[in-house]
Amino acid sequence: MAKTYDYLFKLLLIGDSGVGKTSILFRFSEDAFNISFISTIGIDFKIRTIDLDGKKVKLQIWDTAGQERFRTITTAYYRGSMGIMLVYDVTNEKSFENIKNWIRNIEENASADVEKMILGNKCDLDAKRQVSKERGEQLAVEYQIKFVETSAKDSLNVEYAFYTLARDIKAKMEKKQEASNPAGARSGTHQLRDERPKPTSWLSRCSVL
Amino acid sequence: MSLQKSVKSVGGDQDNTSICSSVTTQPDRHGFFGGAQYSPEPKRTLSPSTILKREQKWLRMLNNWEAFMSKNYKKVRERCRKGIPASVRPKAWLYLCGGQLLLEKHPDEYEELLKAPGDPKCMEDIRKDLHRQFPYHEMFIREEGLGQQELFCVLKAYSVLNPKVGYFQAQAPVAAFLLMHMPAVQAFWCLVSISDKYLSGYYNPGLEVLQRDGDILHALLRRTAPAVHRHLVKHRVEPVLYATEWFLCALTRTLPWDSLLRVWDCFLCEGVKVLFKAALVILAGALGPAKVRKRAAGLCETLEELRHPPPAILGEDYLMYHMQRLGLTEEDFEFEHQRQTAKRRAMANRRYIKHPVYTLFLALRALTSNVGYDLAVKCKRIAYNGA
Repeated sequence: MAKTYDYLFKLLLIGDSGVGKTSILFRFSEDAFNISFISTIGIDFKIRTIDLDGKKVKLQIWDTAGQERFRTITTAYYRGSMGIMLVYDVTNEKSFENIKNWIRNIEENASADVEKMILGNKCDLDAKRQVSKERGEQLAVEYQIKFVETSAKDSLNVEYAFYTLARDIKAKMEKKQEASNPAGARSGTHQLRDERPKPTSWLSRCSVL
Repeated sequence: MSLQKSVKSVGGDQDNTSICSSVTTQPDRHGFFGGAQYSPEPKRTLSPSTILKREQKWLRMLNNWEAFMSKNYKKVRERCRKGIPASVRPKAWLYLCGGQLLLEKHPDEYEELLKAPGDPKCMEDIRKDLHRQFPYHEMFIREEGLGQQELFCVLKAYSVLNPKVGYFQAQAPVAAFLLMHMPAVQAFWCLVSISDKYLSGYYNPGLEVLQRDGDILHALLRRTAPAVHRHLVKHRVEPVLYATEWFLCALTRTLPWDSLLRVWDCFLCEGVKVLFKAALVILAGALGPAKVRKRAAGLCETLEELRHPPPAILGEDYLMYHMQRLGLTEEDFEFEHQRQTAKRRAMANRRYIKHPVYTLFLALRALTSNVGYDLAVKCKRIAYNGA
């Protein structure tokens, strides 16, 4: 069967319970918002193919349950991710403080060159805000990670966030390809390698460790 | 009443919010206004005389519960498999799972537990989930309505009673489901029994038991549907990806309502293996046809098929019929249980032996001096705890 995309990127959404990971994903994949969501138990995914500088990029986005207890099963899926969105809720101080723990989690479980981005969600709820935009930016500078405030409800910056992360992954990949292949072969021939970046597959990881 | 006719959008009071699922003004017979569980078609019911006869049999049984359970369990099981009449179901569930015994033994404990302040982290986690359980059900549709208040109480009481588990997100749908059928205090004791006995270990930190049961399911599938098993192996579809919610929520988020009630009739009588059987039927039903497996040639495609199996295979008659015809014996379950438990233990030991601190322990033990020995013991402890 012919491939309908040029690149396949695996992305992951992590962050405390109730910060709006599922809503962000739903906004991005269906362009809709639903006030009646159920809590995520385990791991879920959505797919959307986007057009990025003339290339078709298929995004396979994994959504995870936020409660700490789920980490034993979700961290197994960090390894294969090429990009990770760290989400906090601007109306919940604790979820912001926990971003540091989530970053530590990434450092322990994801591959070292994974692209990251911090999202401060629910920025439409200004009256309930507990974390200022400046603090978000400061944290991002501290860790040298891109940052944006989003609202899944008002569809603010969600597209931008995913496109930015995807573009960064693509740029990094092309740079790597050029380095390993200075003759400048067309990028179209490298798709298979992109799909399975490591010989130890991300799926078998829980039994490897 | 057709679905199309009754559909009415209620977007008026939520500014800028598009509601994705249609919502009706009339709940279905189970109390749903919309969402995945909404089933507006009237149930094809048994004849009134059959229902009446069954109700009488059940009432007689409930009045002599101890005797039936100890001397005639097979009869109880047979009647559960046929389906418990709706009118006696709440009481039957309470008796079947032992909630009634717990309630009699600790008549005032629920109220006492509610007086405790509760762990702040647990309370916060619970509050975040109250509006995220069956949001289309009449009991839980209203923010901070009675249903959500009771849900909070039941989950809080459990977290105080069993601080080791505290609150785990998967308990919320189970508790909400119970609350749809019985008063809060009864729902609480049923939740205690389900969390501690039926799904023992599922909610513990580490989720070891869940992962082991995923492996058991996978191994059993190899016997009941080898082609489906091969397909899952080929595309690296691990049980943790498709069965986590099935097991942790005891199928309350998976099955259509009528099927769910029938499966729970058996689950509370026979235990967790009923969930395995239902899972095996869903797996075989969803991925059984060769053309589906061909179409679902990848991890995500396969998960998509499992997330939305054909409605026919989730129907109560199909499901109940095929669950009884899987050809799995008690011994098969026991065998796989032992095998997977041993496998996991061996894996844990391997990790432990490879641990660098353990290697150091071996070296130090070789010294055999007292100092070396003390150090070695320390290292071993670190290796064991850290592995």
